[in-house]
Amino acid sequence: MKRICFLYITLLCTSLLFVVACKDDQYSVPAAGSELSNDGIKRTIGPNLVGSKIEFAYAMAIPAGKGKITSAQVEASIAGATGTYLENNSYYTNGSGIDVGIPIGSPSITNGAITTVTFNKDTSAATLRYYYVIPETARGQSVSFTFSANSSDGGKVTYALGPYTVSSMDMVLDLNVVDGAACYISIADMAVYAASAAASIPDKIDLVYLYRATPASFSHALVSPVADPIYLPGVTLPAGVTRNTKISKAWNLRDFNLARLQYGVYIDDLDFQQLNISEAPNFALNLKAEAGAWVETSDGKYRAYIYINSVTNSTKSAKISIKRYTF
Amino acid sequence: MKIYIKRIFAISILIIAGLGCSKDLPVDEDGLLITKRTSCYVSNFELLGVDFQTVRTKNAVIDTTAGTINVEVFFGTDLKKLYPQFSLVTDAKLEPKVTGTVNFSDLSNPRVFTVISGNRKVRKPYTVYITIQQ
Repeated sequence: MKRICFLYITLLCTSLLFVVACKDDQYSVPAAGSELSNDGIKRTIGPNLVGSKIEFAYAMAIPAGKGKITSAQVEASIAGATGTYLENNSYYTNGSGIDVGIPIGSPSITNGAITTVTFNKDTSAATLRYYYVIPETARGQSVSFTFSANSSDGGKVTYALGPYTVSSMDMVLDLNVVDGAACYISIADMAVYAASAAASIPDKIDLVYLYRATPASFSHALVSPVADPIYLPGVTLPAGVTRNTKISKAWNLRDFNLARLQYGVYIDDLDFQQLNISEAPNFALNLKAEAGAWVETSDGKYRAYIYINSVTNSTKSAKISIKRYTF
Repeated sequence: MKIYIKRIFAISILIIAGLGCSKDLPVDEDGLLITKRTSCYVSNFELLGVDFQTVRTKNAVIDTTAGTINVEVFFGTDLKKLYPQFSLVTDAKLEPKVTGTVNFSDLSNPRVFTVISGNRKVRKPYTVYITIQQ
């Protein structure tokens, strides 16, 4: 009797299990919005540097029977610099993975902080790109964006993005340094000078670039003007070039903005704020391509990261890019 | 049926009692296992700069009899901030512990590290001599 009972219960449980397991999840096609609707994303990542662009994608759509989109606009909390614009093309990605633009309106008009595109094509849905060129006035501040779209049926939608903090950093790319020629680096000016020019601004020269084939471990170097002369062989400094710059070598730190390679690594304000190289030497020898060095000027006013984009032994030269943070 | 249950119960009690009475293995003040090994030596030595790249010009010379490590570093190496890396024999440990950069700049007073065997009874000091490539 007990055995039969046990069998029945087992069978019941098994059949119940089958019923539950075989149940298909119900799927229904999402219902389209009945009104004008919108959405937006920020496409760029990394720190927001003055002079660079922040890219957004703003999408808007209305059911075909309700009307058409008449205009789209973006209002920034701080007016963008020259070059800020809203695309008048809506993009789709073709079979080859290439974004193809379809014109939907007249080129954007920017009036102060507001950029507008007026549609001149019968458009029910579009995704427009917005490129905001970060102005000097936004340095160290937060900037927000309000995207909006209007439709022919009188509808209006808005979408807020931000706030985004604009970095305090400066950046300069692809400075050519040459041993014995353009070899005097100024962090204050974010520039490279030859000896004659350096002599006129000795208080701004922080580092000397030099290349020596022997010893082999000398190679490409960045040396502070007051470093031990053994690290400045054959160098006659212009009068008054006497700054003592701290420098600390780094490897595998290929900042995306500086290197423009595939590595998604970004140096941001916080890195400079937390950097401590007070005990670092005042020279860095044997620098290789894709290496870098953290730098702090003798007056403590600037911290910087110098990235070595490339080196050429035969011409005793290198290409460097710099990110700088001012205190 | 009842007999079976009683037997299983009794065996389980015996197993638990057996496990419960097993002695804990000894550990030292760092929570590391103290074993019976008496071997006490450095098998490899590496020296890295602040950029985590080697500063050695060639392999370090380790004399386990004399207790010395001789290593030549590149010209221009910042000796104040170096990361030494010791490979030790199984179960041994190092004193003092290397927790960050070590200052090797005082060449007249070379740094001494002591290897302690697995049984924690043998101690062997190693002196690290650094020379700079010219």
